[in-house]
Amino acid sequence: MAMIRTIAVGFDGSPDAEPAVRWAIDLAKQIAGEVAVVHAIGLLEHAAQPGMVAQLEETVRGLSQERGIESARVHWHPVDGDPCSALMRAASAPIAADLIVVGSRGQGAHSGLLLGSTSLELAEHTAIPLVIVPMGGTDPG
Amino acid sequence: MLIVSGPAAGRDHIGLDHPERPGRIAAVMAGVDDLHLGTDLRIVAPVAADVAQMTRVHDPRYLEELEAFCQAGGGSLDPDTYATPDSWSAARLAAGAGLTAVDALRELGGGVAFVAARPPGHHALRDRAMGFCLLNNVAITAAALAASGERVLVIDWDVHHGNGTQAMFWDDPNVLYVSTHQWPLFPGSGVAGEIGGAGGLGRTVNIPLPAKATGDVVRRAIEEVALPVIDDFDPTWVLVSAGFDGHRDDPLADLALSSGDFADLARLVAGFAPGPGRLVLFLEGGYDLEALRMSVATTLGALLGGMYQPEDPTYGGPGTELVDQAREARIVAHRQALDLAFSQGRVQWP
Repeated sequence: MAMIRTIAVGFDGSPDAEPAVRWAIDLAKQIAGEVAVVHAIGLLEHAAQPGMVAQLEETVRGLSQERGIESARVHWHPVDGDPCSALMRAASAPIAADLIVVGSRGQGAHSGLLLGSTSLELAEHTAIPLVIVPMGGTDPG
Repeated sequence: MLIVSGPAAGRDHIGLDHPERPGRIAAVMAGVDDLHLGTDLRIVAPVAADVAQMTRVHDPRYLEELEAFCQAGGGSLDPDTYATPDSWSAARLAAGAGLTAVDALRELGGGVAFVAARPPGHHALRDRAMGFCLLNNVAITAAALAASGERVLVIDWDVHHGNGTQAMFWDDPNVLYVSTHQWPLFPGSGVAGEIGGAGGLGRTVNIPLPAKATGDVVRRAIEEVALPVIDDFDPTWVLVSAGFDGHRDDPLADLALSSGDFADLARLVAGFAPGPGRLVLFLEGGYDLEALRMSVATTLGALLGGMYQPEDPTYGGPGTELVDQAREARIVAHRQALDLAFSQGRVQWP
């Protein structure tokens, strides 16, 4: 099995997505790896929330401090696109991720159907190993 | 002038406070009214696409899930894209509208058609909705035409790259996809080096442009980068993903086009059609209602040979150097693809 060095984690800014970022950071600490936090900039965000990206970067910085990881090991990647495509594309290049981490519920969630669930769509499409972190979060062990 | 539209295009599929809203169709029809076309105007109601027509480009399971999602009450498909209980029927009508236009043009034996339907389509993927789009309207029409032996040019002048359309015809030698778009911007794809897969190498043309690019730059992009490819392809049908969100007043992007530029673009792409009755335009984006109204009017006016032009074309914006770079990037990508094919033994020197 390939060694995990780089973890790409999706972050849409919702509180539901924060446990996934915490989980990814905690795992990176354990394996001396790095975390790339990917945020997809959609059509509406580009238009209506021009300061959103900077706010979310600040949130990620706060989560890094909270988990006690060196800031140089957590990288911020805002990417144009929908959450699923943006995360898959960025995880492939330039991040070259060994693992993708997402929360089980994001802004697009909808009652168990595949459609509207970024995590389930990623599970369907990505060739990179995927971890889906439940809303409440959990310890990577 | 044939307009394919109907009440459902404006009435159904309503997202509260969403820019992709019913008022867009009212703005389009106001633009049509501005032209006072009289007996030159014919409005035809769209016929909903059937499963066989949709599955030429969409995964059957996706269609089943989308219908079920709407029947379950709809909701958010991603942070941008919504569906309501009415969206499935609205999307099927929009998906079938291009086919209705083709049938009507064939029956008329000439003319030009504009599909004023929503939701838009060019971001929709084979198995996924995104970017306000549920079904890929232009792709469903292009695939039907290609299946009947036609060579189909899809020109996409929406401000956003039509990633869904590109993906659907990536390996298809019978559909040429040409896109000018702002980059970087949603959906993130559409760099000049994306020129098609092994089965359709060179049949994808992307010309990314910077924010604030003006109409002269878009025209130059099409004339200098795309035109030689189009001439070589020799299309028998021309479909246009006509997004009007490149207008300088549009809230979702940052190009600097005026409604007058869309008249010039319309005249340019009309010249690619092999004859009368082989040109269909599809409404994609365009979210400032007054800009949309003016841009539709100038576009259709130009196609009818008129000079309705409430705003002058624009000149002098950035991006001319990117047009040159796009041409070079295509050459490099083509060479790399051929080198890879030779190295893998898929292609041999004659």
